[in-house]
Amino acid sequence: MSYFLEQVLNGLSYGLVLSLIAAGFAIVFTSTGVLNFAHGSIVLFGAYLVAVLHPTIGFWPALLVAMAGCALVGVAINALLVRHLADKNAGTAAILMLGVDIVLLTELTRRIGNKVLTLGAPWGASVVRFGDVSLPTGRVVAAGLTVVAFAALWYLFSRTDLGVGMRAAAADGPTASLMGIRLSRTAATGWALAGVLAAVAGVFLTSFPAPGVAPTVALSAFAAIPAWVLGGFDSVPGAVVGGLIIGLTSALVTGYESDLAGVVGTGFGEVAPYVVMIVVLLVRPSGLLGSKEAVRV
Amino acid sequence: MSPPLLSVEHLHVVYDGTISALSDVSLTVDEGQVVAVLGSNGAGKTSLLRAISRALDSYGGAVTGGSVRFDGVDLAGLDTAAVVRRGLVQVPEGRRIFRDLSVEDNLRAGGYTVRDAKARAEARDRVFDLFPILAERREQPGGLLSGGQQQMLAMGRALMASPRLLLLDEPSLGLAPLLVDQIGEIVTEINRQGTAVLLIEQNAVMGLRVADAASVLEVGRVTAAGTAAELSASDEVQERYLGVAVPVVTTDPVVVDEPEIPTAQPPQQLRVEGLTVRFGGIAALSDVSFTVEPGTVHALIGPNGAGKSTLVNVLGGAYRATEGTVHYGDEELTALSAHRVAGLGVARTFQNISLALEDTVEDNLLVGRHRLMRGGVVSGAWKTPRVRREEREHRETVAGIAELLGIGHLLRTPVHTLAYGDRKRVEMGRALAARPSLLLLDEPVAGMTHGESQDMAETIRQVRRDLGLSIVLVEHDMPFVMGLAEQVTVLDFGKKIAEGTPAEVQRDPEVVRAYLGASAA
Repeated sequence: MSYFLEQVLNGLSYGLVLSLIAAGFAIVFTSTGVLNFAHGSIVLFGAYLVAVLHPTIGFWPALLVAMAGCALVGVAINALLVRHLADKNAGTAAILMLGVDIVLLTELTRRIGNKVLTLGAPWGASVVRFGDVSLPTGRVVAAGLTVVAFAALWYLFSRTDLGVGMRAAAADGPTASLMGIRLSRTAATGWALAGVLAAVAGVFLTSFPAPGVAPTVALSAFAAIPAWVLGGFDSVPGAVVGGLIIGLTSALVTGYESDLAGVVGTGFGEVAPYVVMIVVLLVRPSGLLGSKEAVRV
Repeated sequence: MSPPLLSVEHLHVVYDGTISALSDVSLTVDEGQVVAVLGSNGAGKTSLLRAISRALDSYGGAVTGGSVRFDGVDLAGLDTAAVVRRGLVQVPEGRRIFRDLSVEDNLRAGGYTVRDAKARAEARDRVFDLFPILAERREQPGGLLSGGQQQMLAMGRALMASPRLLLLDEPSLGLAPLLVDQIGEIVTEINRQGTAVLLIEQNAVMGLRVADAASVLEVGRVTAAGTAAELSASDEVQERYLGVAVPVVTTDPVVVDEPEIPTAQPPQQLRVEGLTVRFGGIAALSDVSFTVEPGTVHALIGPNGAGKSTLVNVLGGAYRATEGTVHYGDEELTALSAHRVAGLGVARTFQNISLALEDTVEDNLLVGRHRLMRGGVVSGAWKTPRVRREEREHRETVAGIAELLGIGHLLRTPVHTLAYGDRKRVEMGRALAARPSLLLLDEPVAGMTHGESQDMAETIRQVRRDLGLSIVLVEHDMPFVMGLAEQVTVLDFGKKIAEGTPAEVQRDPEVVRAYLGASAA
């Protein structure tokens, strides 16, 4: 029983980290209509900044710098590239982002090389025990910080003018601009928010039990894509729910791999999130909490 | 005399670099005035408002000449947000409220530019004063409000910015007569509290009742202007917009002996029974029934938002019926998907022309032949003799249809270079290319001048005569329908309010009320 509980807690805490990334995808999508395939590289960039800066300025200041740095990268991608696309459709923007991803990832890979950088997180490889259930301290901190981050997002979107403006702009851009809401500003805010979340997620994706900062982190960030898609492309709460479902699924499937081996073979943990995503999309094509697309003919 | 609050001078607006929407439009709004701009669909009314709000960009339009001055300042070079901050706020056509946001958050978005918390609270109190229903439903998502309440929310949202000039785009669109009157009173009240209003209206009765001055816009030009009293008295406005003295042209009963290009199958009877369509909680159609006899022209008319397009979309298979059935002959259309409906010989046109712009007229028409083409991918790739012969036949048929519609000389021309009226003909041609026995025409003369729509009426008569099919004609232009249809069904607010011959329908008090507002009846 304690083994099961451990897998569940593991899955939920990992799921919260995924939901940070998925929320980043969703926020960029609602505020600019871009499928941000460079998001994984931005997550890696955040972790890289912390790994490089922590020896000189300490872990927490390094995390703050990384958050600002990732926000800046997002804002710059939007201001320098996305806004100037001659053909503003989602497909073109997605291809553009694939290109940006290749550039960013190549540069980061060049810098990191084949080393695995340490993050210098104060919790190191320690483990917290609740009775006979143990969980990496990093995961507990991740869960706490993620909950704080989502509470802050909720406050922003429901209580502040900027947040209401962003929701209005996401719902109907041209009409929102008739209210005096500057779409360029809501778009930049969206990219910045996604960057901040990416930096936080990057730190937890690379701290124990993960080995450290290596270029493959950009790929593991893509594990958040099924979470984003099954939550609904345009919904932050959906991203949270999606992240939790995917986190649980992969933790349980991996945790019981030996029992499942007879049925699906080994390594099914990597596939399971996508299976869940496909099943959900078959039943609810616009995701769990996504808005339905209405076409008027 | 102080300069006008808003002055539009010799304004020209063009879309996509070629399509002219406004030419040489001038008008002014003085402080404290209500000015109405009247005109039918496609007259350029919305383009005018977009030009004033500097919002043309997002629709691919641009001001190519003239100027818009607000409070003495030329608005050229400002963005929409800057225009709003100067006190010029627009309520867009179709309300465009944020459906997923609560009423409160909708208002909050409207007050986005107001930084002073006290000023904002005052504005909100004023809005709740004007529209008590919004205060009552402040927690609910905007999408759950009724059409009239949504219009109030859209107006309240704009008033949150305490504008000096309020631009209203068709506030009466799709509202019941009683509500239209209420919206009119609210406009007067807003104006009494010191806000100038520029009101765009198709409903001329409502527009002229609340306005001090008005201009009539027709196909991008101002064709009449003056005080509201002057315009109400003018014969032209009375005829064109107030529906007074509309001549009824009786059509001869059609005798189809031997149609020149016979349809694949003879037309069947179309029976619509108890049809209801709901979107979310809103009923777009409720319990509508009517029958179209084979080989006749049957018109569906009604004001904007009456449910006409919804009905066509159900007939064509694009929308699902919530309740009720539609039968064509023995087949139940409501149980079939769109391509199967087409297979039964039902073809349609679209209200907002939907053509492949880069392709030639001929290619666009050939698309309509798709369901009759036999050759598959493989035989097509090899260009087998059979496929080549088939292609030649299809091209001949299409050429014949183009000839019938008077666009024979345009076959090789790309569609994007064609004028609006010709594009509408290509649309009809594509539908006819499928050799339908029932043709659904969705607003074939929307946005056309008087002369153009007369030509179109002649074309439709010819099509029916030569092809011997049934036509369901959806229009809100009453005079156009009167000279064309044998039977008319009138919809208002999703319900059938009258049915009969054109002459009968025109005398029906319900119809007069739906079209002209309660006070005219």
